[in-house]
Amino acid sequence: MRLLVGMRSLLRLLRHRPSFESNMDEELRFHIEEQAEEFLGQGMGREEALRRARLAMSDLNTVREECRGSRGLLLPGRVYGQCRYALRLLRKSPAFTTTALATIALCLGANLAIFAAVHSVLLRSLPFPKASRLVALYNTYPRAGVYRDGSSVANYYERRGGKIRAFRSASLYYAGSAILGNAGPPVRIPLLGVSPEFFSTVGIPLVAGRSFEEGEMDPGRDRVAVVSEDFRRSHWSSRREALGAAIRIDGVDRRVVGIAPENFRFLSSSAELIIPASSSPERRRSTERHSGGNVMQMVARLNDGVSLSEAQAQIDAQNAALETNDPSAKEMAAAGFRTAVVSLHADHVATIRPFLLSLQAGSVLLLLAGCLNLANLQLVRGAARVREVAVRRALGAGSGAIVSELITETTLLTLGGSAFGLVLGWFGTQWLRSLGAERLPLGSGISFDGMALAVAIGTALALSVLLGLPAALLPLRSDLQGALKSESRAGTISRPAQRFRYLLLAGQVAFAFVLLTCSALLGVSLKNALAVSPGFNASRSVTASISLVGNRYPNAQSGLLFTERAERELLRQPGVIAAGFATNIPFSGYSGKSAATVQGYVRHSSDSPHGHYSYGVAGDYFRAMGFSLKSGRFLDAADSRRHERVCVVDDDFARFYWPGRSALGQHLFPGSAAGPDSEAFTVVGVVAAVKQASLTDPERTGAVYFPFIYRPQNNLFVVVRGVASNLESSLERSLEDAIHRVDPGLAVTGKLPAQARIGASLEVRRSPAELGVLFSVIALLLTSVGTYGVVSYAAALRRREIGIRIALGARPSQIWGYFLGATVTWLTAGLLLGAGLLLLAAKAINSVLFGVHVMDPAALIACAAVVICLAVVACVAPLWRAGRLSPLETLSEN
Amino acid sequence: MPPSAEILPGTLDMLILKAVSLTPLHGYGVLQRIKQISGDALDIPQGSLYPALYRLEHQELIEAEWGQSDNNRRAKYYRLTSAGRRRLRLETAGWNRLASAIALALNATGEER
Repeated sequence: MRLLVGMRSLLRLLRHRPSFESNMDEELRFHIEEQAEEFLGQGMGREEALRRARLAMSDLNTVREECRGSRGLLLPGRVYGQCRYALRLLRKSPAFTTTALATIALCLGANLAIFAAVHSVLLRSLPFPKASRLVALYNTYPRAGVYRDGSSVANYYERRGGKIRAFRSASLYYAGSAILGNAGPPVRIPLLGVSPEFFSTVGIPLVAGRSFEEGEMDPGRDRVAVVSEDFRRSHWSSRREALGAAIRIDGVDRRVVGIAPENFRFLSSSAELIIPASSSPERRRSTERHSGGNVMQMVARLNDGVSLSEAQAQIDAQNAALETNDPSAKEMAAAGFRTAVVSLHADHVATIRPFLLSLQAGSVLLLLAGCLNLANLQLVRGAARVREVAVRRALGAGSGAIVSELITETTLLTLGGSAFGLVLGWFGTQWLRSLGAERLPLGSGISFDGMALAVAIGTALALSVLLGLPAALLPLRSDLQGALKSESRAGTISRPAQRFRYLLLAGQVAFAFVLLTCSALLGVSLKNALAVSPGFNASRSVTASISLVGNRYPNAQSGLLFTERAERELLRQPGVIAAGFATNIPFSGYSGKSAATVQGYVRHSSDSPHGHYSYGVAGDYFRAMGFSLKSGRFLDAADSRRHERVCVVDDDFARFYWPGRSALGQHLFPGSAAGPDSEAFTVVGVVAAVKQASLTDPERTGAVYFPFIYRPQNNLFVVVRGVASNLESSLERSLEDAIHRVDPGLAVTGKLPAQARIGASLEVRRSPAELGVLFSVIALLLTSVGTYGVVSYAAALRRREIGIRIALGARPSQIWGYFLGATVTWLTAGLLLGAGLLLLAAKAINSVLFGVHVMDPAALIACAAVVICLAVVACVAPLWRAGRLSPLETLSEN
Repeated sequence: MPPSAEILPGTLDMLILKAVSLTPLHGYGVLQRIKQISGDALDIPQGSLYPALYRLEHQELIEAEWGQSDNNRRAKYYRLTSAGRRRLRLETAGWNRLASAIALALNATGEER
């Protein structure tokens, strides 16, 4: 019943709220005027009568509050009233309100956008059932410089089918691409090669048909394929029609046996075609267990209740058992060989993790700086209201009412700011998505979902309380009489309060300094990376990849023939001065290493075998790519046709095996074992070492280049060099034309100037540096605003004191020095605090830097100087005003 | 002016009901009327008058209407509702019982001794 009455009056209130408020105000005004009339009648003056009448009513706000409460509408009524009150106050100080809203919006927006990425990529589990049970396995040879070598086919056969008890199932896969069909222009589409138990391992059941069978893993019997539902829809009208249909992949007819669900996606691969990862018996032999080459990968599902470390222990034990009768065991042990068992998710995001975390750390720093700034501004505002609050409390206003008023104000601010922040965050997410959808492992899934929203709202609420509390508590803590007297008359301000404000400023300076320094260091790292020579002159080269597939390329000879004809055709194009082919080029994104055995080189037992880049080249590859020759000669097209076996090494390789001697004329063998002398390769040239994976590659890996015929591969890179650097787009066209003139069935993909490949490899350094600069600029602006606020407030509070000093003969410069002294002291404290934070995080920060250390004195001093300069500039206006105060005015004010 | 007495907690509502039972009054009028009918002995704290009026209105014991004051200004007039009249009767009876009981208790002489 009571509830009903309450509901009814709540409805009434919502309908008549404004009239309720204005009626109440009118009623109370009427009362006060009636009372004043009576006092007038008693012979008082008009002013005095009104004053007495108001006094009789005690604190008007409290009365209003209680009236609202009496209507049984305490909460909604109070909230409404306080919101109105707070909005009025906020409207009165537009500069503060704008600053606060912008600060919250920017800080929150940045955090939200980055958190959305962190959440989608690092926190959210992979989109497979019980994804936490999935593990990746890969061989690693750290002492040979090979950190990740995937798994070999042999590895798969020795681990599958319950041979490792920890695994419910283990599966092999590789991501590749293929040309579909045989009519029309050739297009490469992504493809996945998998073993039969792949779908059950990752937990993606087929929607129709079956997975591959054991027999279909043998070459020749593997003419089957699974397609995704999306692919099925664009090619066949029904599933029944699709099953059993023929499909031509890379010139080979395959039969569709199964259909994977719609939107099928495995990690970064968006393949819609899946074929068996078939292999010859030779590749399954245990002697081949170290020939992974990071192409084949293994994914396994752990049995329930089995931990990662148990699985690792079982794999280690199996490796140990298998290595006992392996001739290469000693060498592999020396290379630090082991098989890593890691969570599939962790493995998948390993490279992007530091990048995302550093962005998140930066945005959190920005948020902290922003919070401190706002808390400070709030305190300054709060202090300006100390007297108002004291008067109202003296008139009987409850402290609860006052605290909740201030909290209302900050809540309104944070909610408003958060609303803008959400919008900014949404745009930021879109931007992040456009920036790196393909480069973020799970980037296509970056979304602004419920989790991100929950975090946003949580952060906003926490912010409002954090910001509101100190501002609300400070005026309450100061005792009434003290407040009424001190801040107004005696001319001194409450020292703890001002110290607290400076403390917040110092914290803000610290965060801004850390941000600025980090982004400066990232910038320096980027500059250092850019200054590193890739080892070749990339400026006029254009690259592309082709894949020699189908019946026309059954063997290495046919591949060689293709390169010879294509080179001639390429050289006929206008503007082309050199053309060549290689099984891998610098900055291709692939950087597999293999062993080489140098004749006459005896490895010390303490040394580990070295992995080297080992590629086949055809045509005039070195000239086309802009390699520089150190001694001897380049390989040329004829080397594949000569009887003598020759090769070219880079100077890292030469220096490693023949220090102080000439490499020319030396002999070596590919692989980890020496062969008969007749199969030895003679070094005929030494080229400058090139960077393979990235400009910041720390290691000197060494590289060997063989004539194509000795290291043939169907996946080739083609490189052409133009006469001038501005011909890139026409070169790309001529490249494709020439290749198609030789074989119209080949797809030419990934056409990119070599320079662009280098640029793309730096993106992971560039975007954090750029975002860091943006964040630092915001943080510095906030710090300036904060400094301005605190100093002008300090100056305003001490007007009287300053007036007295000036009256006693102080010069403006002395006044300035007095304030600057205090500010600089706190600034220094902030900078030291920031330096301390940098030191604490030194290890993490150093890991993303290149060629510069976190304690780089030049960077630290420059950044500190920037912060100090900005802070001093922010002090100029308030201090200028302070120095020019007229003592007469200030002293007569009270 | 005789010294004014503090009103007892819980009696303000009853006094207001009594005041508006005679004739519709505005807030300031309620104050004057209580002073007057108590022979200037009761002084209502002005800060608690309006919350009490709003509370009673909310409980539907009194109802309000805007009207013209003596000096031709808009003022909100309160009058007793029938529920308010019942409540006033109950409260008056209750108060009288209480007051006479207390008076009786306080006037008791030492018979038991």
